[in-house]
Amino acid sequence: MCCPGCEAVAQTIVDSGLTSYYDHRSENAEKGASLVPEQLSQLAHYDLEQIQEEFVKQSDDLNEITLTVEGITCAACAWLIEKQLRQLDGLHFINVNTTLHRVVIRWRKDKLKLSKILTEIRKVGYKAYPFQINQQEALYTKQAKSYLRRLGLAGIATMQVMMFAIALYSELFTGMEEQFIHYFRWVSFILATPVLLYSAQPFYINAWRNIRNRTLGMDIPVSIALLGAYVASGYATIQETGEVYFEAISMFTFLLLLGRLLELRARRKASETSSNLLRLLPSMATLIEAETESLIPAKTLTIGQIILVKAGETIPVDGTILTGISNIEESMLTGEHLPVHKGKDSPVFAGTVNVTSPLTIQVEKLAQNSLIADIIHLQDSAQQNKPHIEVVADLVSRYFVGALLITALCTYIGWYLIDPEQAFWITLSVLVATCPCALSLATPTALTCATAKLNKQGVLIKQHHVLETVNKIEHMVFDKTGTLTHGDFVLLNTTHYADFTQQQCIDLAAQLEKVSEHPISLAFNLQQKNTVQLSNVINLPGQGLQATYQNKQLKLGHAQFCNIDSPLKSKELVIYLTLAKKLIASFELGDTLRTSASEISQYCQQHNIETTLLTGDISSKSEEVASQLKLTNVTKGVTPEGKLTHLQKLQKSQQVLMVGDGINDAPVLAGADVSVALSSGTDIAKNSADVILLGEDLNKIITLRRTAQKTTTIIKENLGWAIGYNLIIVPLAITGHVPPYIAVLGMSFSSLIVVSNSLRLLK
Amino acid sequence: MSIIYVLIPIAMIFVAIAVWVFFWAVKSDQYEDLDREGINILFDEDLQSDEQKPRPEKHNDK
Repeated sequence: MCCPGCEAVAQTIVDSGLTSYYDHRSENAEKGASLVPEQLSQLAHYDLEQIQEEFVKQSDDLNEITLTVEGITCAACAWLIEKQLRQLDGLHFINVNTTLHRVVIRWRKDKLKLSKILTEIRKVGYKAYPFQINQQEALYTKQAKSYLRRLGLAGIATMQVMMFAIALYSELFTGMEEQFIHYFRWVSFILATPVLLYSAQPFYINAWRNIRNRTLGMDIPVSIALLGAYVASGYATIQETGEVYFEAISMFTFLLLLGRLLELRARRKASETSSNLLRLLPSMATLIEAETESLIPAKTLTIGQIILVKAGETIPVDGTILTGISNIEESMLTGEHLPVHKGKDSPVFAGTVNVTSPLTIQVEKLAQNSLIADIIHLQDSAQQNKPHIEVVADLVSRYFVGALLITALCTYIGWYLIDPEQAFWITLSVLVATCPCALSLATPTALTCATAKLNKQGVLIKQHHVLETVNKIEHMVFDKTGTLTHGDFVLLNTTHYADFTQQQCIDLAAQLEKVSEHPISLAFNLQQKNTVQLSNVINLPGQGLQATYQNKQLKLGHAQFCNIDSPLKSKELVIYLTLAKKLIASFELGDTLRTSASEISQYCQQHNIETTLLTGDISSKSEEVASQLKLTNVTKGVTPEGKLTHLQKLQKSQQVLMVGDGINDAPVLAGADVSVALSSGTDIAKNSADVILLGEDLNKIITLRRTAQKTTTIIKENLGWAIGYNLIIVPLAITGHVPPYIAVLGMSFSSLIVVSNSLRLLK
Repeated sequence: MSIIYVLIPIAMIFVAIAVWVFFWAVKSDQYEDLDREGINILFDEDLQSDEQKPRPEKHNDK
């Protein structure tokens, strides 16, 4: 066993008789951390009615919830979770979806609590969170289901129609009794009707929308060809003359739907993965009323109430400090990487973290008026002003559609003058033979394959235009804290003075920091190698830590707390370690650059892309980062509005890609031509970005750009082929040399070539 | 050959049933998770009583 946590999990599994998990799992689970009692007590917040109403569907006595579960790797995990939960009294229904990493649970609210369910899932080693399904995803899910139904019907019916069509083709060679020909035509007519009236509906709706907006789209000739061929074939069947095209139009519908469905699925997958990242954590506040403390949901707070925010907690509302002095981490909001020192009467904002010591805060603004709400508002308006993006494929198909409609019209007029009887049939064969099938599959298949490939590599594409726009980017704008840098404190420099070695000093400091929740303590924890015996460890929030080591007083904190003159001048945060009032070490802490940051800036230089560092941080750290990475421009100390205006100024002459992670980046992300957010970023940033990078590797932007370039090449090849094919077939069709079965074969063949060309992107 | 006047309508009834079954499957979310159900049959449901008894000594470890 790797840790006590795993052993406990394994024990739970064995005790419950669920050992099949180990027999049938096809992939090993991720290594997990052990359960911390604190985390478990936090789960209890989920039981509150006011918190639950955001994500629990309530009916008379059953509650329903969808949770996202971290750590599901294969079907064995799903089975394990289901079996574990079914042992609970009061559980009504559970279904684990391994593809989506989600669980749907219904339970009786009088018998079972949500926190109990979450705890049980944690016991077997998975972490479950309520999350926010974004609207886009809900829409995609609905659409995907309706497309699947339409596709299924089209598929089944097309098979039947094709079967009768083959019988009718054979009639050309061997001859068939007249009555059977008519009978087969009628059967085909009946089978093709639901395909044309139900399955093909989305094309008609899109075409109608295009006509109303006075634009030309692929769906217009598709609809004309489908309906025209259907009506004409129906007429031919009833009148017992002419040709029937039922098999061609059914197959055409089937193939087009298939393309659309695959495209939709790729987009849906990306938006599902991104909604799984939008976890809903209960936002709680400790209300102080008449000297007593009570824990209530933050959204029920009203103006004037007084709350207590302990060290390490997130401040739930905008307010002012009444008592207490503390350092507050505001990097999400301002980009400043050092926590800000704040005392009485200073304003604090929702979403920032109180780092060092407890504060009492008077509520000044309701949640819906808070600074974050203002930023979200700004983000919405930026989204609306986003530059309109023209996709090449749309442009090509628009010209093609125009040309096609004119050709068809000319053919009709031409033949009407020569031979009015044949005019309609030949025009129809022009529409069917030119069949925009390959052309309308050219772009979606390529985009789908590229999206699926990038998905696997940890790049989630939420908007399809990205794959085209990203090629035209001339300017990349980066946020600093949390994007180019890690956003965490790291031990940069240790200077040791007395006869302690460097490692000893770090071990001592790390041991002391064990009791602290300050982000600094993490920096030390990572470096600790040996444990040291300390007694009487006291955490003096806002000042430092002290303890007794070998009967002497050990202190860790800023210069004032340790009673020494600070011997170090540094741009970074410096803290000191003293033993019996003698300085033994000083530590420099700071934020470090991601390794991928220099690679991406090099890439930009090589490809003549201008770079800008756009940050809310005022400190000289910004210039340092920029010069280290050789970024072209630096703009620092800007507000979220400032960031947006700066971006809009750039957008007047250039196409801009923005990379960010903080709340303050959200408006810029929404306004940029292409926006990229890191999965470690804030929910608001992830919501407004076009692309989300899983993991923290900025190099994925390079991967994205390379795949996008390849995709554009493939799309051009596809369009070239589709147009080339049409240039050959159209003259033949116009002169009336294309019988229906040749038209169908040609159509299928050219669609297949387009699809297999796109599949090359998956490699 | 006139038998096809009977057989084809019967075949079409089967087609209609197939379409109805497919619609039902889509509606009841059976296409939402394609990896899962294939493996489900492998899991034994009744291991509980045999597995719990032989290891009572480990209960105190937690």
